[in-house]
This record gives sequence, C-alpha cells and structure tokens, in this order.
Amino acid sequence: MSAGKYMEKKRECGIRDIFRRTFFIDFIKGLMVTLRYNLSKSVTVRYPDTEKWVPFPRYRGVHTLNRDEKGRELCVACELCARACPTKCITVVPMEDDTGRGIADRVAKVWKVDLVRCLFCGYCEDACPTFALRLGKDYERACTDVSCALLDREELLGPAEVPWSFDGGVVVGARFERGKGGIKVAADLSDEKSPWFERQ
Amino acid sequence: MNGEKFVTLKVNGKEVTVKEGTLILDAAREAGYEIPTFCYQENLSGVGSCRICFVEIEGQKKLQPSCITPVMADMNVRTDSAQVIAARGAMLEFVLTNHALDCPVCDKGGECELQNMVWKFGPRKGRFTEKKIRFHEKDYILSPVIVKNSNRCVHCMRCVRVCSEVVGKAVLGVIGREAHQEMTSFVRSYLDCDHDGMCIEVCPVGCFMRLPYRYKARHWDLKSAKTVCPYCATGCRMTIQERDGVVVRSIARLGSGFNGRMMCARGRFGYDFLNSKERLKTPLLKVGGVFKEVSWDKALGVIREKFTRADPKKVFGVASARLTNEELYLFQKLVRSVFNSPNLDSTSRWNENASAAFISAAGIPGRGTGIYGAMEADCVFIAGAQISDENPVTDYIVRYTTAAKRNSVIIASSRAMKLDSSSRMSIRHLPGRLGSLLNATALSLYMDYPERLEGTPGIDGIKGKTVEGLGQVSGVEVSDIKSLAGVLRGSASVSILAGVDFLRFREGILGLRLLGAILKTLGKQLEILPLLDRSNQRGAWDMGVHPLFGPGYGEVKEKGLGVDGMLERANEGASDAFYIIGEDILSMYPDRAFAARALSRAGFLVYQDMFMTETAQISDLVLPGASFAEKAGTFTNQEGRVQAAEPLLSPKGEAKTDLEIISAIGSSIAPGFTGADPQRVFEEIRGGLKTYEGIFPGLNDSNGVMVKGSGNTLKEFEEVKEAVSDLGKNTSYPYYLITGNHLFHSGRLSRRSEILRGLLMEPVIEISSILADELGVEDGSRVMVNGRESGAVFSVRVKKGTPKEVVFIPENFEKAPANRFFKRGETVARVNITVHSSF
Ligand code: SF4
Ligand code: SF4
Ligand code: SF4
Ligand code: SF4
Ligand code: SF4
Ligand code: FES
Repeated sequence: MSAGKYMEKKRECGIRDIFRRTFFIDFIKGLMVTLRYNLSKSVTVRYPDTEKWVPFPRYRGVHTLNRDEKGRELCVACELCARACPTKCITVVPMEDDTGRGIADRVAKVWKVDLVRCLFCGYCEDACPTFALRLGKDYERACTDVSCALLDREELLGPAEVPWSFDGGVVVGARFERGKGGIKVAADLSDEKSPWFERQ
Repeated sequence: MNGEKFVTLKVNGKEVTVKEGTLILDAAREAGYEIPTFCYQENLSGVGSCRICFVEIEGQKKLQPSCITPVMADMNVRTDSAQVIAARGAMLEFVLTNHALDCPVCDKGGECELQNMVWKFGPRKGRFTEKKIRFHEKDYILSPVIVKNSNRCVHCMRCVRVCSEVVGKAVLGVIGREAHQEMTSFVRSYLDCDHDGMCIEVCPVGCFMRLPYRYKARHWDLKSAKTVCPYCATGCRMTIQERDGVVVRSIARLGSGFNGRMMCARGRFGYDFLNSKERLKTPLLKVGGVFKEVSWDKALGVIREKFTRADPKKVFGVASARLTNEELYLFQKLVRSVFNSPNLDSTSRWNENASAAFISAAGIPGRGTGIYGAMEADCVFIAGAQISDENPVTDYIVRYTTAAKRNSVIIASSRAMKLDSSSRMSIRHLPGRLGSLLNATALSLYMDYPERLEGTPGIDGIKGKTVEGLGQVSGVEVSDIKSLAGVLRGSASVSILAGVDFLRFREGILGLRLLGAILKTLGKQLEILPLLDRSNQRGAWDMGVHPLFGPGYGEVKEKGLGVDGMLERANEGASDAFYIIGEDILSMYPDRAFAARALSRAGFLVYQDMFMTETAQISDLVLPGASFAEKAGTFTNQEGRVQAAEPLLSPKGEAKTDLEIISAIGSSIAPGFTGADPQRVFEEIRGGLKTYEGIFPGLNDSNGVMVKGSGNTLKEFEEVKEAVSDLGKNTSYPYYLITGNHLFHSGRLSRRSEILRGLLMEPVIEISSILADELGVEDGSRVMVNGRESGAVFSVRVKKGTPKEVVFIPENFEKAPANRFFKRGETVARVNITVHSSF
C-alpha cells in the first residue's frame, strides 16, 4: 500500500467519527478502564513505603561473603572468583592468619568488588569452592555517587538483611526510612504478604 | 661427533635418529611428542618412580617409563596408544588417592604441574574412598624462606635429588616408606642450609613453598619482567614479578636462561630491597651539613657549575659494576669526553694494575668462555675463588656437570668450600700465596718437559727455584703440587676458573699467565673463565670503565688513576670533583680509615645510588638512581654472555635511571650529549666495540649472546710487578684475615633485603674447626676479633677443612665492616681472636 492511499483513508470522515468526537467516546472508554481498576482488587506492591519484594533464592543480587556455623569466614582467598569474573571487578589479596578467623589459615586481606562493572552473571559465585561468596537478595544500589557500588570485605561479611534461611519469592512489609546515611527500605520478614502475581 | 653412535627408532610411526643412550622421553620430545613427567628432571639422576611417562614399546608386554629407558635401534614406541592413555589416567588417579587436593589454599594453585596434568590427562573422578594419609595438619616452616606441606607430595624426589646433586647440601631426605614417605629435613627440623630454594623451584606441587611469597598472590595477578640477577657475575637469568607495584617473587624458569631453574639464595630471595621504604626518591643537596631536598634542575645546575670549574686532572669518576652496559658506556664517555678526565674505575676493592693484568692473563679481551663448554674439559681447575659462596650457581653447574662426566675437579683456595666434596683434590694454600702454588705447578711441569717448555714467556722467572721451596712459601705439600701437575699433564683439555682472589692479592696473576702459557705450549686445549663477584664487572671492563684502557680494551690517550690513586690524590687535597655511582667506597675500600679521610677532602662529591649508603652520607650531593628492576639494558656476565633485561617498575619517586642521570649531566654541560635511550646507546656500543659487533641480545634468548674477541690483548700489562707479600711472623696477630662475599650477601646491596637479612643478621666470622676446638667455641659463639687498629665482635661459623691460621670475615656487614681491619699496602691483614665473654 502506498503512502498516498493511506493518507486518503485517514482523511475519510463519516458520521460515526463525528459522533465519536462530539461525545468524547474514547475518553470515556479510558475512564472506564480506570474506574474498573479502581474498583477491582489492587496488585501493586507498595514499594518503598510499606512493602518490598524479596527475590527468589536463585536471584543474583549484590555479593555476600558468608561464615560457617562457627562464625569463621568461609572465604579462603583463593582468588578464583576474581579469576572467573568476566569484567575483572573483584579484587582479592590473600594473607596468612591462623588465629581461626577463617576456615583455613589463608584468609582475605582485601576482598572488594566494583559493582559498577558487575554484570551479576554469577560466575564468581559458581567459582567459589567454599560457598563463601553468594550473590544475595539485595538489589537496592541507587545512590548519588559510585562509592556505594564499591563494596569491601567488612560490608559484605556483615549480616545480610535477608538471611539465607529465608527463601524469598515473597513480598514483605517494609518501612521507608530517611536517615543521615541516605534512604533505606527496611524489610520486616515476619510480615509476609502475597506477591503481586497472586493478588488477582 | 667422534665415536658417537646413532640409532634410529620410530615414535608413533615417525622415524627419529638420536644418539645412542638417549632416553625414549628425549627422543619422543625431539620427534615432537609430549610425554608428561613428574620425577624426571633435566640434569638430575633418573629414578623412574612416578610412572606417569609410560610408553608402549612394540614387543614388550608391559608399559615402560620413558624417562629411564634408553632407546634401542628399531624400537617402535607409541606415546598415544589407548593403553598408554589409560595408564596415565590411572597413575594420576593413584597419585591423587593421597593428595591433599586443597588447591584453593595452595600457593601452587594455577601453576601446579599436578593440576595441569590431571586437567589434561587425569580422571575426572576418583574411586578411592579410604581416608587419606595426612602427615600434619598445618604447614610447617623449614627455614626463613621455606614452608612445607607434605600432604601434597607426589613423591617425585626432585627436591632430595636437587639438594644433593646440584646444591650439594644433601640436607633433605626421606622419612618413612611407600605412601607414608615424606621428603623433609632430618626429623622435620629447621634447615641449616644454603636457603637457595632449589627444592621449591623443582617441586612440581605445592609441597615446598616460598615463605616470603606465602599467600601473596596467584600467578595470574603478577606482572613479570625478564632481567638478570643483580648480585654476582654468574649473571643468572631471572624473572621478577610484582603485584600492585610490589615485587613479590623472583623465579628462574626452565628455558628462559642458561641457568635453567638454578639460582642461589641471593637471586631467589634478595629481590625485596626493591620495595624498600629507604629507597632514595629525590636529589639531596648538603647545605650547612644537612641534606635538603632539591629539584633535578637545581642538582644538575650545581653539578654543571662544580664540574666545569674543576681542573679535569682533578676530576674523578667511579661507577659500580652493577650498572647496565649502556650506563657504564655512557659513564666512561661522560668522564672522558665531557669531564675531560682520564680518571675512572669500576671498583674500589682492587687496584687498576691488578685488574688490567688479570684481564690480560685470563684472556678476557680475547673472547667469551661459556661455562658449559668449560665443563667439557678433562680437568677443571678452580683457583682463587671460594666458588661455593661467591658464585653459587657456577658451583652448582660445576657439581652436576662434572659428576655426570666424571672429569677431575681440582680446587686451590685458602678456604674450605662446599665444592671440596665434589672435587678430586682440594689444595689449601696460604692467603696471598696462590702465585707460589701456580709457579710451583708450572715448575713441576717444566721439569717434566724442559725442552718443550723452553722459551715459554715467563718461564725464566721460576727457573732458579725449586718446587719444594715454592711449595713451602705457599704452604702446600710437594706431593699435592706434584699430583696437581700430574693431573694437568694427563689432561688433554683444561679449564681454569679464576676467581677474584687473584685481584684481591695480586700475586698469582703472573702464575696464572705462566701456567696458561705452559698448558698451551703443551698442546692442551685451555679455557680460562673468570669468576667475578659483581653482576656486570665484565661489562664494566668491556665498556672501558677502567683508567688504563678504553671501551673494547682499546688504548686510551692518557692513562688515568684508579680508585687507589684517586683517594691518594684526594687525601693530598688534589681533588676538585668526584662523581660516584653506586660504589660505596667507604664500606668497600680495603682501608676504611684512609678512605674516610680521603673522601672528606674530595672536593665536591656527587654520589648516586638507590640508598643512603655510608659514602652517600659524607657526600655533598646525592642523586636518587634506579634499581635493575627499573631499567632496560644489557648485562655481560663473567663468561661474556650478554643478556638483555627489561624494566618491571618505574623508578621510585623522582628517582631516574642512571642512564637518564648520566645523560642529563652530560647534556647540561655539553649540549648534544647522547640521549638516554638504552637502545640507541647499545647501538653506539655495537658500532664502536669489536666485542659487541653484531650482538643483538633479545629478551627471549635463553642463552644470551657471547661477546666476541676484541682483537686487543692488553699485552702491556703483562709485566705487573708481583711480589710475594710478607706474611711475617706475628704472634700477637696470628691469623690471616680474608674477606669476600658471604653466601647470602653481595656487597652491601643485599643487606637492604629484609629476607636475606633474615637469613643472616649478625656479622659472622668463619674459622677452621681446629681453631674452634682450640678456642673452645662452636657455631654461634661470640668472639672478639682484633686487628691492629680496630676490633669487633662476631658470631662464629665453623668451617671444616680451612687451615687453622685462616679466618674469613664477609665484607657485607655494616655493623662490623671487614675493611676496618685492612690497611693500604698490606695485602694480607692479620688479626687475633679471643672468646667474647661479656654478656
Ligand atoms: S557477578 Fe559476574 S560480573 Fe559480577 S562480580 Fe561476579 S563474575 Fe564478576
Ligand atoms: S570468595 Fe570464594 S572464590 Fe572468592 S576468594 Fe573467597 S573462597 Fe575464593
Ligand atoms: S599441589 Fe597442585 S593439585 Fe595439589 S593442592 Fe596444590 S595446587 Fe592443588
Ligand atoms: S616435596 Fe615436592 S619435589 Fe619433593 S618429592 Fe614431594 S613433590 Fe617431589
Ligand atoms: S648471586 Fe650469582 S649465583 Fe646467585 S642467583 Fe645471582 S647471579 Fe646467580
Ligand atoms: S617421569 Fe618417568 S617415571 Fe617419573
């Protein structure tokens, strides 16, 4: 079909069209949709004010470094994660420490990741022989400079907001907090709510 | 070659012809087939214990280990049959049954022969479920540089063999049998050994590991550069590696240098001075007695002013024999053509006449002498060197090559050494009396062949003497001299390895020349290999950093003064300006008091180095130079092997490479002076020096390139005066003091290495076991050593086999400088020793 023909068709204006325009039929149709949703059950996750999505266990969020049940660091600074990473965003420098800090006397002196470059591909997690490194459930990385994307050992070893024992795949209650350190959405894991796809 | 037989065999159907007696392994490799090996190691005896190198030989039911099976004619070998491949996998599975397999915490991970092999040939799953044998839970420390984990051992015995066959220490052995066998020191005790780390380098797995490198990095984190060891003139090729700007390791790789995997403690562990916080970073000018940081412009301005105003005759230059050839060449050019002074030298430890005579006697201008070629000779005569401590890797090469060839090694020295045990004969002579020994040997040969040797240059000098008389002077039994002469007579080829004692004592150079001439007249194939103790000493001479000859041993317009003469002039107040690069004269010149006095009157003293050395402290301007790891250039080792080096780091702070500094000084005084491009300078060297004509040493030349003949002989220095020094009879100072380098140190540079200091902290004195018994002291006891003018306390090291009257103090210790005991004009210092009891 040539462009000319199409233009011609558009210029056609019959009685139906005049009617539609005069009585705002399209507008009312739109309002009806809105009205229908207004009256139906809501599926919106009220994030960040009162609700928050906790991803499934296999979600690949921000890195976490983990400890064994005795509290010893699992990371043995083997550097395999750094080696496996396609974007070279992990840096590991090992050191010797036989005080029981780690499960072996080889521990990380430096362990840092640059999330700006991270693809969240999970190769590092796969490479880790001790399950020290796991990509966690944290996905909130918005900030005003890149500093919050540079994470080091201490931060990654700190208790994760969502522990591994919590399976996820649910929406939980949350509180939006504005503090000195910026904003935060604190989850309340005990307050489990149905996920949006079940709210119909 | 002569009489050698060749056999032809088939490897995987491909015909190869190899020498009779070749191992199947080597034949297969020659044919281009790879066979994995564990226990096999080039140059070590074969044990055939690991069975990973199995091959199938047609007609033989069982597979054969190729690393110990020699070829036979018409053999039909398969390296890739299904049976071989299955056996390889099975052997690896077997090795892994007791292997710790803790790769994540193993320092070898990523560069482990076992890992690579299992990855390539091995099973993906093991079937053994029994508990693994564990020798210990934690790794244990064997020495300040060695840490061990026996749970990872694959029982290849390379460590044990290398320690006894190459290093000659035999401190490692086997405890237990079969799977329980552990390679370690006696009852896992702390090792008292050479700490050269050969066991680490050969261990295919993470069993023997470097303690200083422990948990520092993975090999893929490291940036490497090929360079040459900065310590002795054996000139081992080494690769240094850094992580985040810190040098963490120095390794010797198979196939990257003539030394293969060999290095001594200095080379393998002495790299950490590069990271020292004490490195100089800015030029320092002394103003009112204190150093103040100044800019390069200011520093160069001061130099220009002082050196242009100075009387050229009163300008002196000394450059360390650790600089690159390019720097040394440019240095002599600077002194000779910009400062217009003939006075320059490359060492303060020996006199320029002695070095010129030695160079001439050893035939250094003639050509290069490869060590492996020299080891082909029927008789290897090592004189004037404590080779085991001064040039450890040369010692290793002598040990393992001569053990395989069974040629005669004869050693003549005042001190006992490790190599004695591998020699056919060890002669102990009095210090400084090597000349008499050589003359006596020459005389003995002359008496055997008076007609043939008549007219040999220098023969007249010994004619009136007797072997007995000379023997007595040198303190050697006549029978020993006779048997030495006998061995020389019976050898068709002789290699003489001549060490720096020839330079230290001067006597002996004529004897060396005479003996050399006699052996040549007798039709022997003669090689003389100098054994030097500074990495680029030969290069310094080649480049003409010498007051008596120019680059390529050419003549100079005007002969100048060596350090002896310079200090003398300075002492008289006849010195205007002194430029020293890297030679810490104050701690090395064999008369410390005199050197201090002279240098304090040396006019304007510019000192350039990496550290604030003792000489730096008394100078007027200190320039921060660079280390070998920060330079591109070439080094020429004692053999005449030219090896290229590449930089790994950039100079610290504002420091510059010595080439840049020399060039900057040159251009500030004479605009248009050669620029600081090492390649351009080397081109100039190649163009100007016959010895370097057509020499293109590349970083990947595993053997470097040998220098060529210069066409010069330095004949005029033949007639250096040789007097037998008067050892005298002195009952209050009964012992002869010799100095030199300790096994763990080289000059003062190595003292900046924390690791090497950890191997040996306190000043030591080496005394004979006889003297130790007499004094009632043992290793580690403290003794007071007194010379005429000074004394110091030392820790005793007992050496069996050294004559009672000879004691040795290394020149390396700042706390007790050996040169304090020396006095100008005296070749042999004398001391007395008393037990130190104050605590
Ligand atoms: S997730 Fe991928 S990109 Fe990110 S650190 Fe791990 S390996 Fe690197
Ligand atoms: S996180 Fe895992 S892979 Fe990374 S260094 Fe530690 S142990 Fe090795
Ligand atoms: S020796 Fe090799 S295979 Fe054994 S633990 Fe170390 S890296 Fe792994
Ligand atoms: S310690 Fe290393 S070199 Fe020695 S036998 Fe064991 S694996 Fe071989
Ligand atoms: S000091 Fe000498 S023998 Fe030792 S590694 Fe260096 S060059 Fe080789
Ligand atoms: S390499 Fe041949 S048996 Fe070990």
